[in-house]
Amino acid sequence: MSATDIVVRNGHVFWRSWRASFFLSVLSPVMFLSAMGLGLGSMVNEGRTFGGVDYLSFFATGILASSAMQSGVFTGTYPIMSKITWQKNYEAMLASPLSVREVFLGELGWAAVTLTQLAVPFFVIMTVMGIFHTWSAVLAVPVVILVGLSCCAPVMAFTATLQTDEAYTWLFRFIVTPLFLLSGTFFPITELPAWGRVIAQATPLFHGVELVRQLTIYHLGISALWHLAYLFALLIVGILAGFRTFEKRLMP
Amino acid sequence: MTTVTTSGNGTPLILSRGLTKAFETIVAVDGIDFEVRPGEVFGFLGPNGAGKTSTMRMIGCTSPRTGGVLTVMGMDPATDAVRIKSRIGVVPQIDNLDIELTVRENLEMYARYFDVPRDVAKGRIDELLDFVQLTERARDKVEPLSGGMKRRLTIARSLVNQPDLILLDEPTTGLDPQARHLVWDRLYRLKQRGVTLVITTHYMDEAEQLCDRLVVMDKAKIVAEGSPRELITRFSTREVVELRVADETRDKARDLLDGVAERIEWLPDRVLLYTEAGEALLSRITDEGIHPDSALVRRASLEDVFLTITGRSLIE
Repeated sequence: MSATDIVVRNGHVFWRSWRASFFLSVLSPVMFLSAMGLGLGSMVNEGRTFGGVDYLSFFATGILASSAMQSGVFTGTYPIMSKITWQKNYEAMLASPLSVREVFLGELGWAAVTLTQLAVPFFVIMTVMGIFHTWSAVLAVPVVILVGLSCCAPVMAFTATLQTDEAYTWLFRFIVTPLFLLSGTFFPITELPAWGRVIAQATPLFHGVELVRQLTIYHLGISALWHLAYLFALLIVGILAGFRTFEKRLMP
Repeated sequence: MTTVTTSGNGTPLILSRGLTKAFETIVAVDGIDFEVRPGEVFGFLGPNGAGKTSTMRMIGCTSPRTGGVLTVMGMDPATDAVRIKSRIGVVPQIDNLDIELTVRENLEMYARYFDVPRDVAKGRIDELLDFVQLTERARDKVEPLSGGMKRRLTIARSLVNQPDLILLDEPTTGLDPQARHLVWDRLYRLKQRGVTLVITTHYMDEAEQLCDRLVVMDKAKIVAEGSPRELITRFSTREVVELRVADETRDKARDLLDGVAERIEWLPDRVLLYTEAGEALLSRITDEGIHPDSALVRRASLEDVFLTITGRSLIE
């Protein structure tokens, strides 16, 4: 009876269909990187660089962090709502010695597993494409897992406050998609107007993207600490909020 | 297979004094007192919304109490939830089986939540599948199972930790008569092994069949307590004559029946006459010129107890 039981349970269910899932986590970087990185890159590279690197390297590092965010957010939505509302898995788990906190941390632990499963193939493909030149690049893997978890925990906390899944449409349309487009994945945020830059800098994805780029294609600067601190802080806030909302919902 | 742990001589397994549960807008349980003794089948009988499930959830440590005293096996759910939960089994009102797992995996995973060692769990699960007659379905997914099979699997799941106490919330609601009897039979066998069972139900026959003692709940309060027989003796006559009277003769019947029985209940669809001798009463009222559409003489039941106390039927 510990949080690892939840990871084991989810892993057991996942294992039956791992091929489809693994295929997707290889296919999606290949598609993104060839279409956007190489295709679009060949047009935007004309006579310019992105802080000294080509567009493929710039874009690939951004999309790695963005994918982790999207995966983290998704993991906190429907799968969690289903276990609270539709299938009532948590009700069954909480009748055993498992506690609400163990359940929450267990789900977050499972999110870390799925994020690893996303990040590692992505990283390998990028390495094969010759994007990385330093050993520190490998640190991008734990960093994007952190990005995913920092996004997952608050969304899980939010899910426990919902009665229906309607709010997710808004979450994806008005939060996730704008973050994806405007946090420096596709173009440097210096291209944004001043107010846009302020907003971008408040988002977790911007910090994730910056941190990944510093570790992989740019030089590691002191600002990395600030980015790291931001992501950890968001994760901790998400966990504490999740403890509260899960307890309120599951132990009425 | 299951062992009894008594927490000392005569000490109740569950003790409640002034137990209260209030939500933002309603008081679900309003200061109830009861005791459950080791080895007995104890029932909460009452209509939907009486506070039965809230009480069960407080005992099962999945809903904190608002006030009063509650001890389960001598421990306080507010501080000892893990230790209490490791010794109880829960069968919830609506099945919450893991539909992504097979029948057997449901039990294996649940055993894991209780830290039952894998090799111990294996033998125990074989026995449990046999006990609930699901051995042949062990490798099937949960979804295609019938309602009765799911219920039995849920009961088996509640036994993986060899609990001293099992909480069953409406164990047979929604099952057909055959499936109900199979569930009742298995619960009766558990009782014979000395397991303490706490059951909620709004079926009087279920309460009469299974419970050694019960409390009748209505509107968040306990309104009566005793064995099924005691309650019937105290709150009802021995027999009941049930009449169906056509609407147009209802007023005439009302006049004629006045005073013929110890008590008369006029329900929307029928009239209940409470008496010690049903057949004699029935022939007397036929003599007096009342010709009901149908007439039935039966033994008094807990339904009548509930009606006497609250003036309403159990199932509305």
